[in-house]
Amino acid sequence: MNSAATATSEPGHRAKPRPRRRELREVTLLVATFVVVLGVGALRPSFMSFSNIEFMVLSSVVLGLVGISQTFVIITRGIDLSVSAVLGLSAMVFGLLSTTSSMPLWQVLPLCMAMGAVLGCLNGFLVAWLKIPPIIATLGTYSLYGGLTFIYSNGLQVDQVSPDFAAFGNGNLIPFLPVPTPVLALIAVATAAWFVLNHMKFGRNILAIGNNAAAAYNAGISVRRTLLAVYTISGALAAFAGLVFVAYTGSATATTGTGDHVELQSIAIALIGGTAIAGGRGNLAGTVIGSVFLSVVITALVFLQVPAIWYSAGEGLMILAAVTLGARRSSNP
Amino acid sequence: MKYLFPRQPWDRALVAILVALFSGFCIFTPGFYDGFHGTLAITEEFLPFGFVALGLSVVILTGGIDLSVGSISGLAAVIMAILIKSYGLNTWLAVLLAIGAGGGLGWLNGQIITRLRVEPLIATLSTNFIYSSIAIALAGASPPYGFGPAFGELGTGALAGWVPVQLVIFIVLAIGFSGLITRTGYGRRLVMIGYNRDAAHYAGVSVASVERRAYCISGIMAAFAGIVLASYYDAVRADMGDILLLTSITMVVLGGISIFGGEGGILGVTLAVMILGVLRQGMLIAGFSDMVTTMLIGAILLSSIAIKNLFSSRGFDLGSIIRRLSSLRPPERMAPRS
Amino acid sequence: MSRTSGLLAAAGIDKRFGANSVLRNVSLSLAPGEVHTLMGENGAGKSTLFRILAGIHQPDAGQISLDGAALDLRNPSAAYGHGIYLVPQEPALLKELSVAENMFLGMLPTRGRFPSRIDWKTIRGQAQDALSALGLDVDVRDDAKHLSIAQQQLVECAKALLRGCRIILFDEPTSPLTGREVGILFAIMRRLRGQGCTLGFISHRMEEVSEISDRVSVLRDGAVTDEVGRDGFDRARLVRAMVGREVIFDRRRVRREAQGEPVLSVRGLAHAPVFSGVDFDVRPGEILGFSGLIGSGRTEIAEAVCGLRAKSGGSVMLAGRDISTSSIGDIIEAGLVYVPEDRARHGVILPMSIRDNATAGQIGRLQRKSGILNRGREIAIANDTMHRYQVRARGIDQPAGQLSGGNQQKIVFGKWMSTNPKVAILDEPTRGVDVGAKDEIYRLIEELSAQGMAIVVISSELEELIVLCDRVIAIYGGKIAAELKGADVTAARVGAAFLGAEAH
Repeated sequence: MNSAATATSEPGHRAKPRPRRRELREVTLLVATFVVVLGVGALRPSFMSFSNIEFMVLSSVVLGLVGISQTFVIITRGIDLSVSAVLGLSAMVFGLLSTTSSMPLWQVLPLCMAMGAVLGCLNGFLVAWLKIPPIIATLGTYSLYGGLTFIYSNGLQVDQVSPDFAAFGNGNLIPFLPVPTPVLALIAVATAAWFVLNHMKFGRNILAIGNNAAAAYNAGISVRRTLLAVYTISGALAAFAGLVFVAYTGSATATTGTGDHVELQSIAIALIGGTAIAGGRGNLAGTVIGSVFLSVVITALVFLQVPAIWYSAGEGLMILAAVTLGARRSSNP
Repeated sequence: MKYLFPRQPWDRALVAILVALFSGFCIFTPGFYDGFHGTLAITEEFLPFGFVALGLSVVILTGGIDLSVGSISGLAAVIMAILIKSYGLNTWLAVLLAIGAGGGLGWLNGQIITRLRVEPLIATLSTNFIYSSIAIALAGASPPYGFGPAFGELGTGALAGWVPVQLVIFIVLAIGFSGLITRTGYGRRLVMIGYNRDAAHYAGVSVASVERRAYCISGIMAAFAGIVLASYYDAVRADMGDILLLTSITMVVLGGISIFGGEGGILGVTLAVMILGVLRQGMLIAGFSDMVTTMLIGAILLSSIAIKNLFSSRGFDLGSIIRRLSSLRPPERMAPRS
Repeated sequence: MSRTSGLLAAAGIDKRFGANSVLRNVSLSLAPGEVHTLMGENGAGKSTLFRILAGIHQPDAGQISLDGAALDLRNPSAAYGHGIYLVPQEPALLKELSVAENMFLGMLPTRGRFPSRIDWKTIRGQAQDALSALGLDVDVRDDAKHLSIAQQQLVECAKALLRGCRIILFDEPTSPLTGREVGILFAIMRRLRGQGCTLGFISHRMEEVSEISDRVSVLRDGAVTDEVGRDGFDRARLVRAMVGREVIFDRRRVRREAQGEPVLSVRGLAHAPVFSGVDFDVRPGEILGFSGLIGSGRTEIAEAVCGLRAKSGGSVMLAGRDISTSSIGDIIEAGLVYVPEDRARHGVILPMSIRDNATAGQIGRLQRKSGILNRGREIAIANDTMHRYQVRARGIDQPAGQLSGGNQQKIVFGKWMSTNPKVAILDEPTRGVDVGAKDEIYRLIEELSAQGMAIVVISSELEELIVLCDRVIAIYGGKIAAELKGADVTAARVGAAFLGAEAH
């Protein structure tokens, strides 16, 4: 490509190391979030109330959880469309469970994540072993899991949850700290994800596979097992997000997750957050801030009385914008 | 006659499956076989999927994908209904305009993919939501219904009293698409791009323009399917195309068109349309819910690609299957468009 | 670091890819403390042999042993385990990851029990030390995408040493390097040899081979034809072993000075920083050579001329018509074709039939008004291609992927020539074809030129340029460095210009 440039540079004698790439996406997103908050707040003062800000942060948690696992999947050059179906199934199954059984939350939680892991594991098997393109594999399982939700619910829907679920969804885990438990959960998951991606072999293997799967394989990295693990985690986190959702809202229907296009939203925040759709590069902080940004924008649309039907169009436009701007940038480094 | 009989092993297998499935339903599902005319009439229930599948075949042959077909068909139907009801346009003129709108939406997909260089998957996933928002907004709370008996003929009419109009149109279109792909310069370019995008470019093929036209064709067919649905129900709904996508993709893939592009033909797709259609209707008649059917179709989609992947390049012997399952090669075809 | 590596030996290696037999009963042994060079023409099987030794490919037959003990090299990691490392022709560093991480890929050290975290400090320290030991001054925290090819090769070297590999195979490392970079690489190779490492080396360039090698093995058509020690180097002998017959340097003595108006004329073609200020003319019946190293910009220039690649300035006139802004389809229609170097990626569409491939360059012409293809014409063109270029195949409906490399190349050649171009640019026309097919392709090129076609041959093989061309232009660093014609077209002059020595 730039052969003339390489032909003239010499291996032994380079004057100065180049400056490292600065990732400013988080800053841009934070600024954009504040601009929206202040702008809409000026028009509709109640937008800036503490309760509304708490609402916006809380409602970004579900999306943030799914966005984190979606980021992992996208780094491997994959995509997981089935997250919304897994989320919906988990919300339905465990929402109903909380009212029909007296199982305490600490027992439900591992059960829920295990269910999600199994569902995600099937995705991973389809992608890594049967070599079905991720988009098609997860589109297929999307319909499978979505169908399961309908069959399981059998016309029922969740309209209330047990008290300890409600306490988990809306209460504060630490009495004197006014931070709702779901937000703490998101912070914990995000921190763990960051640690995994930056400081554990597994995370580095994910990045290596996204950069060049063949080279990663040649270096002795087990590509298929890593992919399997990534899709499994994606399923587990989506199921956890479903649990948080039902605990927080106290309701779930057969179209929870799929009806809100959570799969689209999670892809949107990952791409807006600076993760490359071509794989190999991810930005977890960007994803988390992206989820807050999306939640703020949607709430702002509500405050500005934009009809709800336009929200998904807005998300579609946001994805296109994020991808197009991302492509521009990488073609002209 | 000998040219009519499928020569590819995959197509032959599809014929066998179709025959087995059809006879199975006839024998075991009371109410499925309702005389010759009744059986032909069943095709009216699923041919809209087939129309979408024909258009989608062209896109998938280039190695792309169009996830926006469902919302395009909904939007086109809504546009047609509004043109008839609110603007009092002639029905058939409105139909033409709506099909044109579908082509325009597909063309827009093509523009986003080729000019902005967005992956087809991401581009059409995004436009799917944009188009469906527009459709819902246009349709409003109570979308129009009742377009008159003449229009209803498209979806429910029958020639000579027993051949469904839809079936006639589908057969004509299937032959047309088959000719387009195997006999025309455009079809040759399409297949070249699907197999090897770079080589097609070096051979002087304008890859972007061929792709744009493919998405345009897909949009036109999706819009047509939406109009047929509107005719069949004599009503429109903004979200009525949503069920089309999964089944249509499955029809294309089960029909033997490679999801990676290049390989496959319309004969297989036509057979797959019939198989999935018979399956869908048979299961509904047998009392299974729509959801169970959808799940089954999802499973068929996954297994047909898996089977193709496992068998395509190596032989059918057990040893090679085991080798393939256990080979440590990473997936190579996940690479994005360069 | 002073322990010596063992004797790596391959015996009776066979390897086939599909229908192509690439290696036939090849035996080779690499002794500790020596630089063992593989020579051979393109497609002789050198890279395949190295890849088998490094566990990337598995042989169909034969055995690999280290100090007499048989090795099972199932994958590259197994090869690392035995101390064998291949520096690939195009280093495959992961672009978005840091240099340090690339060096430790697949063996990142960790500390602590649970969670065991990656020890970035050790990684950076050791990576920096390993690079400094090789005299490479880059910041290991930098992303790998910022390194030049030469730097990437040295990083690969360091990777090998970090893995404790004492047998390092270099697959044609010098082809993308400048003379100075080659010097640096050779210095490092000598030092490694001094430390008792075994080095494998592939090169085409006689000067480099005689400078660095202790032993040379020559491969031809997948078999070892000669092996000589340092004292037995003889240029003529090696060439004979490579080519399989007496050298044909003087096959064509008469270099015509083509007359008449140029049919293709390029002025001021530029696309910074890849190439700039490129001016040249080609006349009917002339064969113009384009020489230059890989990465010199020669392919990029040709692709820009043919509308396949963006250019920032300059004009291209074909038979008096400006085609600078025409689409690639229109340029082919106007009579200028580019036969690409990378046959599998750009030339032939393997799953499609010979007929489809042979007509792929002129779909527009085969279309009737209705858009339907004229099948009779297609069959005629395909049959004509099969006949004229003596393609060995079952019939025109056989998929191109089932043919041998040489036959595929003939189809690709036929695909472009059947469009009746005025000017043809052939990029490495004999890459990866066997000696027999090579001769046929030379004959065809001369035949076409005799019929009045203007031909540009891009090649990095000296012999090819000297045998074929009336005039040679040397590209160096994206510029025309020299133009040689008539009696000046000699091995020495072209070779020097090629390496940038005759740059103005």
